[in-house]
Amino acid sequence: MNASAWQMLLEGAWTTVWISGVSIALGVTAGLILALIRIARIPVVDQILVLYISLARATPLVTLALFIFLSAPTFGLNLDRNVAGILALTLNTTAFNAEIWRSAFRNFSREQREAAMAAGMTPWVTFRRIMLPQMMITSLPGLINEMSFLIKGSPAIAVIGIVDLTRVTNRISAVTYEPLPPILVACALYMAAIGCLVWLQRLAEHRANRLAT
Amino acid sequence: MMRFPTRKPNAFHLPSLAAKAMAGTLVALSLSTLSLTAFAADLPEIESRGYLSVATEDNYAPFNFIEDGNAKGFNTDMLEELRNYADFEVRQDILPWTGLLAAVSTGQYDMALTGASVSDERLRVFNYTAPYASAQHFAIKRVGDDSIESVADLSGKTLGVQAGSVLLSRLPELEKMLKEQGGEMGEVVQYESYPEAFADLANGRLDFVIDSAVPVNTLVASKPDVFAKGPAVSGAGYVSWPIPKSSPELLAYMTKFLEHMKETGRLAELQEKWFGESFPDLPDEPLESVEQFHELAGLSD
Repeated sequence: MNASAWQMLLEGAWTTVWISGVSIALGVTAGLILALIRIARIPVVDQILVLYISLARATPLVTLALFIFLSAPTFGLNLDRNVAGILALTLNTTAFNAEIWRSAFRNFSREQREAAMAAGMTPWVTFRRIMLPQMMITSLPGLINEMSFLIKGSPAIAVIGIVDLTRVTNRISAVTYEPLPPILVACALYMAAIGCLVWLQRLAEHRANRLAT
Repeated sequence: MMRFPTRKPNAFHLPSLAAKAMAGTLVALSLSTLSLTAFAADLPEIESRGYLSVATEDNYAPFNFIEDGNAKGFNTDMLEELRNYADFEVRQDILPWTGLLAAVSTGQYDMALTGASVSDERLRVFNYTAPYASAQHFAIKRVGDDSIESVADLSGKTLGVQAGSVLLSRLPELEKMLKEQGGEMGEVVQYESYPEAFADLANGRLDFVIDSAVPVNTLVASKPDVFAKGPAVSGAGYVSWPIPKSSPELLAYMTKFLEHMKETGRLAELQEKWFGESFPDLPDEPLESVEQFHELAGLSD
């Protein structure tokens, strides 16, 4: 592998990281909002969300990305490829994140909530000051897990022409006919990205434990 | 005001949900395929909006590939010529082969500027410009594998081929050739793209890989100590640019462009440069029907 191959790999890694990063940020927030809406159990809206969550969890990422990209002209949309890719990843991860948030919410201790109510907190203050910080800590392992799944599933968006890390290995081996070296480098780069996530998780947990004691 | 219910919500009814989800997706898919042809732009629309949008590939040497981060290959040079020739802008997007033709047929792009082989299935959706390369199919084997000398030797051997490709759809021709000689097809392994198939051939997981004339020549020239060209496994075939059937004026325009390239001798120059030969025997007219293709390629119905 020459210098330009390394440069292509790093550019591909950057594409993977920024597209996954945007999707993770959108997906974690949207997942929380969806979980809250589902907990409020608004008729019709609730059923629609249940349908969305089961659809998104059952659809392979490649299919979802292709469907969004290919159906865009039919709806008269001029969708940018990066936007279509982020949309596919976000739609997918939001569904999983919503379930993680919802389970953290449902398992939240009733005693604390009653204590907050007794202290005169409004439901919003209770949620923001008492529940959310603890829900974040309990959801963190699940959320980080889902983030690493998203990064590892991100090569799916290459199908609509986004040149992510895995696609770059393909481009390099198409010329050299030696796929192994670029794939090994790509593996190391993926491991580095996911290692960063796990490290951040540990950092956050340390901090939370310090605050809790 | 937000409610915080503590009671357990009803469990999901997964089977019925999955069925609904599937039905919904199917309806959406069929709707999108029904209305697809309305969106590919023909020449008048291209001229009025000022640009033609084409899709090209990134890992099909020597037609389209990436070297040192830049697009290279026969079609990259042809695109350059087209940009000089056309009085509208030509916008290019690079896509993997898997979704490329679907993206053109649904109108995401006006045409595919790729090394696309002509097939019956594709001719029902696309017209093709006059062929610019031969696509007779050949077996590729490992160097020093003496067990493969002729078509008859391919009987029962494991082969690799690209999924969704013309090479795959013309496998029955090889099966027929093998049957006539008392042999049979071995296991067929489908790959998303060729680099993986070549890697598996090199490491012995496959006995041979089927690819068309031009890429076979390129591969064998670049890795002469690993791969060797085997016997031909199909009748004549053509490589050209697919244009949706709904854009006949664009087809006429591209036909004129190719004629211009032939007259100036530039086409032969580029063919020599990228394919190693100029294929002087190829037909000059665009391919518009299955019957026409069969007659030209000498295929029996």
